Amino acid sequence: MLVARASVSTKIESVKSSIGNTITISPAGSRGFEGGGEPLTSEQLAGVAKVDHVTSVTQTLSDRLTSTNTNLVSAIEAGSLGNRQAGNNGVGFQAPPADMPIRNETSTSGTGSSTQITRTFTPPVTITGASVLSTTTYGGDSITYTSGEAIDVSKDEDVAVVGKALAEKNNLSVGSTFTAYGKMITVKGVYDTGNTFSNNGVIMSLSSLQRLSGQTGQVTSATATVDSIDNIDSATTAIETALGDTADVTNNQESAKQAVEPLESVKTISTFSLIGAVIAGAVIILLTMVMIVRERRREIGVYKAIGASNIRIMFQFISEALTLTVLAMIVGLIIGVAAANPLTKVLVNNSSTSTTQTVQGGPGGARFVRGVGGNALSSARSVQADVGLDIVAYGVGAAALIAVLGSALPALMISKVRPAEVMRAE
Amino acid sequence: MLKVSNLVKQFNGASGKVTAVSDISFEVPEGQFASIIGKSGSGKSTLLSLLGALDKPTSGKIEVGGHDVTKMHDHRLIKYRGKEIGFVFQNYNLVPNLTAIENVMLPMEFAHVSPNERKRRAVELLDQVGITADKQKRKPSRLSGGEQQRVAIARALSNKPSLILADEPTGNLDSQTGKMIFDLLHDLAKSENTTIVAVTHDLSIAGKTDVTFTLKDGSLV
Repeated sequence: MLVARASVSTKIESVKSSIGNTITISPAGSRGFEGGGEPLTSEQLAGVAKVDHVTSVTQTLSDRLTSTNTNLVSAIEAGSLGNRQAGNNGVGFQAPPADMPIRNETSTSGTGSSTQITRTFTPPVTITGASVLSTTTYGGDSITYTSGEAIDVSKDEDVAVVGKALAEKNNLSVGSTFTAYGKMITVKGVYDTGNTFSNNGVIMSLSSLQRLSGQTGQVTSATATVDSIDNIDSATTAIETALGDTADVTNNQESAKQAVEPLESVKTISTFSLIGAVIAGAVIILLTMVMIVRERRREIGVYKAIGASNIRIMFQFISEALTLTVLAMIVGLIIGVAAANPLTKVLVNNSSTSTTQTVQGGPGGARFVRGVGGNALSSARSVQADVGLDIVAYGVGAAALIAVLGSALPALMISKVRPAEVMRAE
Repeated sequence: MLKVSNLVKQFNGASGKVTAVSDISFEVPEGQFASIIGKSGSGKSTLLSLLGALDKPTSGKIEVGGHDVTKMHDHRLIKYRGKEIGFVFQNYNLVPNLTAIENVMLPMEFAHVSPNERKRRAVELLDQVGITADKQKRKPSRLSGGEQQRVAIARALSNKPSLILADEPTGNLDSQTGKMIFDLLHDLAKSENTTIVAVTHDLSIAGKTDVTFTLKDGSLV
């Protein structure tokens, strides 16, 4: 229990500082490519980085590469979902000026608004400029490079990494080039995120994309990382104050709390079990010692008769109890080392299964607002029970406490034994 | 010199107060062997436990070497028992999980005698009471009754007490062994100049002691 409690406590701290401790900052009214409003600026986000408890701020600028500004062809077929979204693009908007064709629309039939428009739509390629490369930037849980390597996002160069599917569709490999915004971009690496959507992306450094797309200083999304989810509320409020109504600030605290909750309950269970075990141990030692003292009354009487003080006799009996507990503790430690990991896993898994379903959906939206999903939970659940020196120290402490508590009453009984007991012939 | 004056011990029994020892006074000069005889229930053992400071009297005085035992505090009594009194019990009362030599060393350990001195003295005493070297390393369960009582006598002598109190020292032994134990005690009283008070109902033994007191219903007859 001690080991389980300690490992779960450590895990809780680590989960609090690694899962759900991010604050997503979007321009007010905008999520990914949905909505509208004005982009955030790098200067605004520099202020966010100074907020207390914020350890880092990742800035991203996202744009769509279409047939008008790239020679890349999307690896994703439009399908019925893509066509529906393309169709929805016009709903609720005023008709564009006649000289400005609807983006991505390659052909139309008919001329009037009453006529059914037939579109052959190709989904755009998402290009992301990032100040830091993280799984959020790639949009996947595990990132592997099938060839080449990641770009240096601190440099402003015409280089990019592309998703595996996009590379295959456009016959791109490390060293080959494609055009975007009228420039030749060199492919530095091909990555695989394990999901179709993200494998159709292009990633550049933030500064490069800002320059190429003519959006200098603009940012469409940012993620602030906070040192612990305990501080996420205060940090969120501080960021909201700093940015005012120019940004929408959201966090994933609730989901993270759900991930931590089962661990907290395991911690509580372990704590109570630990206290229970210590009390039970003390009672067992107490009863054993009471029995031993009763059985050895005569011996105690003899000790007293031949000049032993109460303290001397108590010391002997308590050291006997200590020896018993230390032996038990060594056995307990051995069992603890062997069984702690499986036991902790059983405890943690049992108590976190119930919450898995409620969290798995996670906050939806664009790929930049990815929250804690199954991945975070499975990480929270992978508790490693290690038996360190501190655990052994706690164990020794508990054993000593058991021995002292268990010996207190017997010690009192010892002091009450009259030496004249020895005169009683049996 | 053991001097007892007007010693009374009462117990609270189910049927009111019971007087176990009633106004007893006597003296035993140093180096003498005294015996107390009496029937069962006459108060012999109670008197002995009072003399040994194992129990406190209701009233009266016990002086050993000029010190009034009844006025001592608990802490001093422990030291007094350890240094000045040696006990020999009817059922030996050796510590079962210690060897013969360790049993003899125990009172010296309580009296903070150095380990080397303890061992030297224990071997010397065990030799004196006739426990051979191989038997000195045995635990009490592997010694005969007579041998256990010899070990008990050696233990009683370990701190060179001025008074040895023996409670039926031959009670659990056959007559021949009992006589040997008695002779041993008698010789020790002379050689070590130790006062010995033995409670017994063995009249053949009582007859050989320097002084004999007879107890009846808590009083000396």
